[in-house]
Amino acid sequence: MKNDFRMQYPLWMMGFIVVLGMFAYGVSSPVTNVVNTETEQSIMIEFEPVAGFFVVGTAALYIIMLVIFIFRLLRHNKKNPNQKVSPFSVRPLEYLEQDEGMTYITRKASQKVYTFMSWSLPMLAVFAMVTPLPRLFIVWGILLVALIQYVIYYLEIRKHFKEEIE
Amino acid sequence: MLRNRVKELRARYGFTQSDLGKLTDVTRQTIAFIEKGEFSPSIALALKLAKALQTNVDELFWLEEDEKNEK
Repeated sequence: MKNDFRMQYPLWMMGFIVVLGMFAYGVSSPVTNVVNTETEQSIMIEFEPVAGFFVVGTAALYIIMLVIFIFRLLRHNKKNPNQKVSPFSVRPLEYLEQDEGMTYITRKASQKVYTFMSWSLPMLAVFAMVTPLPRLFIVWGILLVALIQYVIYYLEIRKHFKEEIE
Repeated sequence: MLRNRVKELRARYGFTQSDLGKLTDVTRQTIAFIEKGEFSPSIALALKLAKALQTNVDELFWLEEDEKNEK
């Protein structure tokens, strides 16, 4: 069960969020020069060396992770034809709902996430309104909330499977 | 809190959690959750468990308060 793709899904999402955060740092720092005269029309986007590295490096890492993620997802669907998951599903892939016991565990974890979201999102919105933070920090704030929700969900599910005995 | 004798009766009949899970159409993990008292099964699952373990539901599950009152 611990190797179930749906159990590992929150870990994947955490990884994607961290990479996205690094990518956001890279894309938010370029210098843009727009020239629009009678003789010349051009747009130049200039990355600083470190920011450029972040953009290219994290984009490459994201693609690599995405390929492995899709491979793992397809392998899960092949091994579990009765419990297939789709990346295009509206319902979160991490839900474990094979039977009433699993549904109960999923509900407990979801309740904890909902509790966190119900106060963290309004707090983030207020924080963004009253503080003159750059856009990057707002993006990082949103990504941090998304990261923490997966941490809460994963730890709650993991807690129930930690002391499994036969 | 709901108490149960699932683990005791399962051991008596030599069933693993997986075996009992298959007999009652649930995962091994759900049997483990029930045995640990983390999860109270539905009436339908309680009936299936009682049938698989050849006993009655009230022999298999009881309330902790009732246990204290009997003492």
